[in-house]
Amino acid sequence: MPRIGVYICHCGENIAGAVNVEEVRKYAEQLPGVVLARNYLFMCSDPGQELIKQDIRNGLIDRVVVAACTPRTHEPIFRKAVEDGGLNKYLLEMANIRDQDSWPHWQDKEGATEKAKKLVASAVAKAAYLEPLEDRFVEVTRASLVVGGGVSGMFAALDLANMGYKVYLVEKNPSVGGNMAKLDKTFPTNDCSACILTPIMVQVGTHPNIELLTYSEVESVEGSVGNFKVKVRKKQTYIDWDKCTGCGDCVNACPAKVPNEFNEGMNNRKAIYIEFPQAVPKRAVVDIEHCLNCAKRVMGTQPRIHSKTGEPILAPCEKACKTGACDRSRAYNPEGELIELNVGTIIIATGYKVMDKEPFKEYSPQSPNVITAMQLERILSATGPTDGQLKRPSDGEKPKTIAFISCVGSRDKRFHTYCSKVCCMYMLKEARLIKEKYPNINIYIFFIDVRTGGKDFEEYYNYCRNLGIRMLRGRVGAVDELPGDRLRVRAFDVDLGAPVELEADLVVLATAIEPAPALEELGRKMGITCGSEGFLKELHTKLYPVETSVKGIYIAGCAQGPKDIPESVSQARAASSAAAVPLTLGKVIVEPLISEVNQRKCSGCGTCVQLCPYSAISLVEDKGKLHSKIDEALCAGCGICAAACPSGVITLHGFTNTQIFAQIKALAS
Amino acid sequence: MTNEQAVADIINLSEGDSSLANEIRELGGEELLECIQCAKCAAACPLALAGFSFFNKRVIQAVLMGLRDALLDDSSIWACQSCNRCTEICPREVNPFEIIQAMRRVAIREFALPTLSIEGLKSLYDTGHAVYLAGAGNTRNKVGLPEKPPSTVANPEALKELQAILRKTALAELGIIPMEEPGV
Repeated sequence: MPRIGVYICHCGENIAGAVNVEEVRKYAEQLPGVVLARNYLFMCSDPGQELIKQDIRNGLIDRVVVAACTPRTHEPIFRKAVEDGGLNKYLLEMANIRDQDSWPHWQDKEGATEKAKKLVASAVAKAAYLEPLEDRFVEVTRASLVVGGGVSGMFAALDLANMGYKVYLVEKNPSVGGNMAKLDKTFPTNDCSACILTPIMVQVGTHPNIELLTYSEVESVEGSVGNFKVKVRKKQTYIDWDKCTGCGDCVNACPAKVPNEFNEGMNNRKAIYIEFPQAVPKRAVVDIEHCLNCAKRVMGTQPRIHSKTGEPILAPCEKACKTGACDRSRAYNPEGELIELNVGTIIIATGYKVMDKEPFKEYSPQSPNVITAMQLERILSATGPTDGQLKRPSDGEKPKTIAFISCVGSRDKRFHTYCSKVCCMYMLKEARLIKEKYPNINIYIFFIDVRTGGKDFEEYYNYCRNLGIRMLRGRVGAVDELPGDRLRVRAFDVDLGAPVELEADLVVLATAIEPAPALEELGRKMGITCGSEGFLKELHTKLYPVETSVKGIYIAGCAQGPKDIPESVSQARAASSAAAVPLTLGKVIVEPLISEVNQRKCSGCGTCVQLCPYSAISLVEDKGKLHSKIDEALCAGCGICAAACPSGVITLHGFTNTQIFAQIKALAS
Repeated sequence: MTNEQAVADIINLSEGDSSLANEIRELGGEELLECIQCAKCAAACPLALAGFSFFNKRVIQAVLMGLRDALLDDSSIWACQSCNRCTEICPREVNPFEIIQAMRRVAIREFALPTLSIEGLKSLYDTGHAVYLAGAGNTRNKVGLPEKPPSTVANPEALKELQAILRKTALAELGIIPMEEPGV
């Protein structure tokens, strides 16, 4: 016969304010199997835990029920108390009489007390059938995968590599750098983005512990914390990167023109291209979709021979290449190469994309002089389409009046309801860069709220106002095209209380930050859900901001939500330290609350195999009979298989049928 | 301009006069650009309570947008009671009253001031009081006060000195009111 001790927590007023704790205690005392019942102001305090330990040490009890708050935050400390007292820590059951009782039933004290009795009775009934369980440990592969080579991913990778761990850094573009590489200057200090980013890119490219996998994408993820198996597709570059020196001769020779993604489509690149001048690795790739196959040099075919000279007829790119890196005769696999990585932890830092202007018909997106802020960033950049000259797209003239429009696609139910957080500051920054260089250009910023929360940001804003940048509260209702490449901006100045209009030469839309394309799909591959806004969800907003619902997978940067560079870097470094914990320990605890098949009774129907979300179950043959087998390392203890098994021969430890039926019976009585 | 008109008319920012802000800063409104339009000053302003179109906060925004004509066509700034509550409570130390004063200086250079203000200036020059009730002598007698207050009104020498000072100000150059030296 079990000897159960019941401990009821007041949680200050949180529980005692709605539940008559003494009445519940008296009720618990007479439940079958209960040998003692106590209450205490704060069970989670040291003296509260000491009560449990003493009762165990005195040999009074061998099962513990704590009726208090949520096991989500408090189960670990009560398990520890039970273990310190000398019992197996799984001989503990919690009844959540706060979140599930006193809080929701605050207005009904009597009902709350009755419900508390039921919840306690149910926990006691289960406790009678608790069994001791043993933790298991899994060896950890001491390597990490970082997905995304922007500023967040690079910092996460560098930190882990500097700690001595092997890091695979996967980036979908040919070069690391991400969005930050496109920026001209960065707030709040206005340092040149390339100047501060390039050294980081070089460190990433040369670090002995970092294996850089650019132009690559994650295809699948299997396994669990400590031992993930990740398939990564290295996309086909059609260039031998071992031989390529990044000289750019092939690029100069290529006649094909393709809109340049790096310059936000404002000029052209070639079909064979190096992403940008500071690219790491500085290697060329062939955009096979846009390749013209000059001289009929389709990849993987032999060149024709000139009838007179007897020389092979080559395409301009391969003719220009001095190292033999560009060799169109080679039979490349268009699918690239699929490689498999074994890692202990994963950090997702896939960044963001900015919305383009097309959806905003009210702002005349068809006009070349209506541009996004990211396009302006490229115009201001020395490596951009205008070599850093402030020229508007329609005629290359320097604009005299520029209007910025904030919250384009942000705080807008048609697109994104959230605030993109960085736009106020980047608009001010772009306006300041222009105003400092050309004080006579009139700049108007149309805003709804100026949100400059951040260290030194408000000072930055004040500085901009003092430069004479005009701030005007009121969302712009329309941008109309006027003759002569002029634009009319119409708004309502809330501060004047009057409708206003402005003729501008250039209109800049501060378009929203949105999740990177296919982020949701990547999340699905890893078992991480996205919030309604499409960014990956952290485990807990305040306490576990870089952890996810999947142990061993962490998030950093804008994959989790809009943030600026200082915040992204902070989060990246937080994620790398969290991801290093299992690597440093070398082993991870696997809770024994997992499923087990009674193989003797299993009919081998395979129902569970299909249903398991973690691919932890397989059918194995033993003496000519099939039966299912659960991989302990992969099982997450969700219980789907146990519920679905038609023969009822799968047991979920910690939630056995006997335990659950006893709980139900106690609740229903 | 009444409130209704302010709502109906579309303000063309392109016609804004970008020199206005600097002019105001030179004429005493040095802290103009510190204003972030929080409207705390407006919450304390008698002009706003009385329904005038341009009170402290709106004067500042109109100046920032260079709306010189709109401000000159409107007489709100002359109704400011100089209570200085705005100056006391402004969290940005903008000194909104000084900006209204500066705007008055701009307006007076353009002779854009209402008749009432001209009368006030004339009264100041003639009597030493911007508002002087000449017919108040009897009332004063009834309550036991001398017929004339003990100010420039009762002291012609002091009035002469005041007028001499006023003749040395910018007011004399503007010639808005007759300011001849007596006996010349």
